[in-house]
Order: sequence, then structure tokens, then C-alpha cells
Amino acid sequence: MTAASRRLLPLVAFAVLAVVVVVVPSFVSGYRAQQLAYVAIYLIAIIGLNILTGYTGQISLGHGAFMAVGGYTTAILMVDYGVKDVWTIPIAALLTGTVGFLFGFPALRLSGLYLALATFAIAVSTPAVIKRFDGFTGGGSGINLFGLPELTASLAPVEILGQELVFNDWLYYLTWTIALVAYVLAWLLLRGRTGLALRAVRDSETAAQSSGVSLPRYKTLAFGVSAAYAGVAGSLFAIATNYVNPDTFPIALSILLLVGVVVGGLGSLVGLIAGAVFIQFLPEWSQQISNSPGAPSVVSGLILIALMFVLPMGVAGLVARLRTLTKR
Amino acid sequence: MFRKLAFALTAFAVVLTLGATAALAGPSRSAADPGLTETSILLGTTSPLSGSASAYASVARGADAYFKYVNSKGGVLGRKIQNTIVDDAYNPAQTVQATRKLVEQDKVFAIFNALGTEHNEATRDYLNANKVPQLFVASGATKFGSEAGKYPYTIGFQPSYQAEGWVLGKYLARTQGAAKVAVIFQNDDYGKDLLNGLKKGIQRSKVRVVAAEPYEVTAADVQAQVAKLKASGANTFAIFATPKFAIQSYVFASRLNWKPKLTLANAVSSASNIMQLAAEGGTNKVVNGSVSIVFLKDPTDPKWATDATMKLYRQVLKQFAPGANANDVYHVYGMASAWTAVEALKKAGKNLTRAGLVKVVGAMNLSSNPFLLPGIALKTGPTDHFPIEQMLLQRWQKNSWKSFGGLWGYRAA
Repeated sequence: MTAASRRLLPLVAFAVLAVVVVVVPSFVSGYRAQQLAYVAIYLIAIIGLNILTGYTGQISLGHGAFMAVGGYTTAILMVDYGVKDVWTIPIAALLTGTVGFLFGFPALRLSGLYLALATFAIAVSTPAVIKRFDGFTGGGSGINLFGLPELTASLAPVEILGQELVFNDWLYYLTWTIALVAYVLAWLLLRGRTGLALRAVRDSETAAQSSGVSLPRYKTLAFGVSAAYAGVAGSLFAIATNYVNPDTFPIALSILLLVGVVVGGLGSLVGLIAGAVFIQFLPEWSQQISNSPGAPSVVSGLILIALMFVLPMGVAGLVARLRTLTKR
Repeated sequence: MFRKLAFALTAFAVVLTLGATAALAGPSRSAADPGLTETSILLGTTSPLSGSASAYASVARGADAYFKYVNSKGGVLGRKIQNTIVDDAYNPAQTVQATRKLVEQDKVFAIFNALGTEHNEATRDYLNANKVPQLFVASGATKFGSEAGKYPYTIGFQPSYQAEGWVLGKYLARTQGAAKVAVIFQNDDYGKDLLNGLKKGIQRSKVRVVAAEPYEVTAADVQAQVAKLKASGANTFAIFATPKFAIQSYVFASRLNWKPKLTLANAVSSASNIMQLAAEGGTNKVVNGSVSIVFLKDPTDPKWATDATMKLYRQVLKQFAPGANANDVYHVYGMASAWTAVEALKKAGKNLTRAGLVKVVGAMNLSSNPFLLPGIALKTGPTDHFPIEQMLLQRWQKNSWKSFGGLWGYRAA
């Protein structure tokens, strides 16, 4: 393999991916398309989490909370202010990004497990905080977006560029378009100076600082970007589900996202789709194995343990191993 | 150059995704309703098979066992009932996904006995808009029965929490003179409905609610709330909490040496096994004499040891849900709702349609249900989608529940 072709490989792979994404709905049922839309949503969230955890080395167990901020931003904007669903997405990104950026400052004082605990605390307290402001958030009953056909697709088809799209396909194209753009943006961010600086922070903060990398700057940047990704994912999650309530963003979601990143491969973008597929379909797979009460969670756990034994570096590790084999 | 290429590719992807929509066809509708053949009816249930509320999975399990029993006897008018149960981990977002899977992929005829208040609320608009019956919602939230006009395809099952609170309130008003009530309640529709019902029940009486303390379902414990309630000087303690917090409320009240004259418990958390835990081996005096409501036959009550239905109940569980704990009253709940579904399907007849079934359950008039206490009728009407509105009071004595008095009825306003 020549150097040029090795450099072109990611682009070709991405082009193939884009084509696959476009043609898939023609081959699967509407419901499958909807499930794949959730894969795209998880993909966006775990790309963001990987920027923070995989590239910058800051463990977050609270990304479900950032998704909640995005989801509630969308729901409240739609219900209270009549904003059309797609326009709430950039607002959710901006708002959640700001929240993440601000959280980056106290996070500067924490590292490793302590940061993981602090972010976990956010995930734990988020449902209670949402319920506390029930006039604003609808409390435990949540916010239903189903009755707003003029703002979002629910039953009536959506018209885009003269084409009528049913809900499932519309959702699929919306989420995957955003996911692919998010993928490329992350790649652009991480391949240059910024990516290098982030990795330097991860590998050794002292070494990074002595080479002129500003820790506050890059850590808060990573937090902001990462949270903005989670905000977009949360916003799309609200649009896809047509409903938000505090329990739709449970602690388990934050942990699941981290599982997705680890399965996909920390510090690499290659395997993240596999990670997103894994967290979306794991409950379904484990239910197919056993559906007796309590069993699905045990099966999920066993699958995860087995996977970590077989692929300790995630899917990205597998890809890297295959690459070194072809290089020889 | 790579950056340019990347942008070009992204643009390409966007254009493709937006442009590739021409090939899509709209959904097609066939004459017969989905989920129905000459020999089968497909129902779907969402249930917390995993997660924090997985104790409730017994409801779906009990119902499923009963359907299998009915199938073994030939089914309903020649049709066998297939009941697909999907786990939602007690997360409403997953309930939405699971319900869409049941409707769009498995093509069920109806959603049956899906569990949880917010969970059913999250799918209610979707199911009604698609005209899919949302049968016998396993939640006592008042909205599932009272909004029948807006949601004709949704029907409740158990007595509403408001009715339950109302009966407890009426009981206080009639027997307790100028009782001062302190209430601990879960800060959601469930707790608030119970509290509102209680307040309605004590209207125009000398009974007063002197303190009401909410707790969050995510809270670790309710010690602070119980301490505040004790300080209010109330002589009656009403516990409107889910099992874990109900047990805590009893235990903390006892620890704080609070001796309310009477304690009220709500049906969701007054199963015998929960009360036995709260009783701390009989040392907790607050538990003794607690009053609650009951509408199902309690499998641990010796009164029903020779009851034909409860014998059948144990046999059905043994045969079709091996390993299930027959003392778990949630199984009885599941069978009671499955029995009602079977009756409704029979009444809807051989030419079954979704609209026809909804008509039947919306005008139900069954004088009894063998899994419910004798005398409890199931009645519904155009503005009343609450099938069960009668209940008995029961008192916790010598480590078991004893029902007392006659039936209490509550009509939805």
C-alpha cells in the first residue's frame, strides 16, 4: 500500500459509508430505519464523549445530563415558543456547549476518578433538578411533542424539497445527515493542532504544559465541544421520541454512552459506529436470548464482559490490528 | 487539500441523503386490522423486565400465563392469543420505542396492560392517533380514565389513585372524628392523585390534612420527611409511597418513636410481603392496625385457600409460568386484566376490529371478575374509562390483611 493510498483510505471509507447510509432505507422496514436513527443519535453522543474521554483523557459519567439539556431545550422551545424542530437543534448545541464549557472550569481542578465522580453526580441529580422546576419542564409527567404536527413529524408525512417523507425515513435522514457532518467535524478538529494538543493533555499534563499547551484552554474546549455533541444528540432524541421526561435521561444512559465509546474504541473515530450499534441493539439482542424477568440485564452484562475479553481495545483496536497485518 | 475533500464529501452526503427520497413509497393500508388472522390475535405489552422496577414484571408474567391457559382450552372464538412482551427497563423513552416496534414491526392488534404512568402517557397520543387500542393501562393515574373523550382508544383498569385516596378520606371522615392527617407522598401524578383524592374524601368533615411532605422517586431515603411529619403533631399518618419508601416510612416513624393512632397505606405498596418487611418481625407498632384498600384476591389470604379461582390461579402459574412465586399478588393483577381482555374479545365477536373492541371495552358491564373480590363489578361508559371503581377496606392484624365493612364505590366525576 503506498503512502498516498493510505491517506486516501479514510476518505474512501467515508464515501462508502455515506452511500450505504443513503441506500439503507430502501432495504429495511420503517421501524428498522427508526432504530437506525437512534444509532445515529447515539453515534453523535459518543463521538462527543470520545473527544473528551478518548482524546483528552477526561472521564465523563454525566453525558446523559448534557443530552437532557439538549432534549429539554428542544422540547421547551417547541412547546412554549413554537420553534420548528430542526431550528432547535443548533440552539440546543449552543446552549449545551456553553453549559459544558462552563462545567469545564470546575472540572479543571479535578482529574481522573474524581472527575468521573463529579460528572456522575451531575447525572444523578439531573432528574431531580428537572422535577424541581416543574412549571418549566413539566415535572415528572414530562413534555409531549406528539400534538405538534406543524412543528415536528409525528404522523403526517414531512415535505422536504418537494418529496414527501414518512416519519421513520425523515427521522433516519435527519439524524444520519447530522451524524455524518458531526463525524467529519470531529475528524477535522482532531487531526490538526487541536487534536495533537488534546492528546498531549491526555498523555501527560506536565509534558503538555511544558510544551506550551494551555490546560485550561484545551480542557474547557474539549468539555464544550463534547457537551455540544451531546446536546445535539439529546435534541434529536427528543425529536425522535416525541416525548421527554426526567426518566428518559437516566443515569444508565450516561453509563451506556461510555460503554459505547469503549466498545467502539477510546481515542479513535473508526469504530464508533459499532459502539453506537452496540448500545442501541444490545437490549434487543439480550431479550432475544432470554425474556424472563430480570434476565435481559444479566445477559447484557455477560455480553459486555465477553466483548471486553475479545476486544480489549474496542472495535478500533481490531481495525488497527487488521491494518498492521495488511502493512506487512 | 484533505480539508477541501472532506467538505466536498460531506456536502455530497448531505445532497444524497436529501435527494434519495424519491424512491420512497407511502404506507399501504389493507382491509383487515393488523395482528389478526382467522386463528390468532397478536397483543403487545411493555413491561419493566429489567431495571429498578422489575418487580412489576410479574404483572405481565401472570397475564401471559393466563393467555396460554386460555389458548390450551381452544382460545377465544377459535383464535389463539399471542402476547408479545417487550422490556422497557421502566424508561418512558424505551417504552415509546418498544411500542412503535410492537405496532409497526410486529403489527400487534392492540397494546395490552402496558405498565407505568409516564410510560403509558408517552405512548397515548401515538396509539390513539394510529387507532391502536391501549387496553387496561397498568397504572391508576386518573387521566387514563377521565380523558376518555380525547383518548377513546385508551382505557384504564385498576381503581384510580384518586378513587383510592377518596375512599381512605371518606373512611377517616366517618370514623375518626377530628383526625389530623400527615401525608408523605411521591412527587408525581401517582402521589398527587392519592393526596387529592384524600382531600376530596375529607371535605365537609372535621378531618384535616395538617402536613404533606413530598419525596422524589430518586431520593435515597425519606427520614427528613417523616421527622417533619411527626413534628406536625398529626395523629394519623398516610403513606402514599412506592414499596421501598413505604417500608422506610414505617421504619423511620417507629425509630423516631412516633405513635400515630392510625396509619393509612396505599394499594401499590401494601402487598403482604412488603408489610411483613415493614413490620420488622412484629416489633414495628406503627404497622399494626394499618388500613389500606384491596380489590384483588390476595394469594396469601387463607380465606381464598379453597377458592376455585385461586386454585386455578396456582395451577395456571405452575403450568405456564414455572418458577413464578404464586404469593406475589402482581400475578393475580395480571390474570385479572387478562381475564377481562378475554371477556372483551369474546364480546367483540368473530368479526373482530380495533374499533369494535374499543366499543366493547368502552361500554363494559361485567358483574364480576373471578380474580377480583366478590361483588366488584367492571363498568365503563363514554366518559368513564375506569373499569374498576369498587374496593374494600382492609386492616393489618396479626401479620396479615383482614378486610372489613362493605364495598366502597367511587364514580368518576
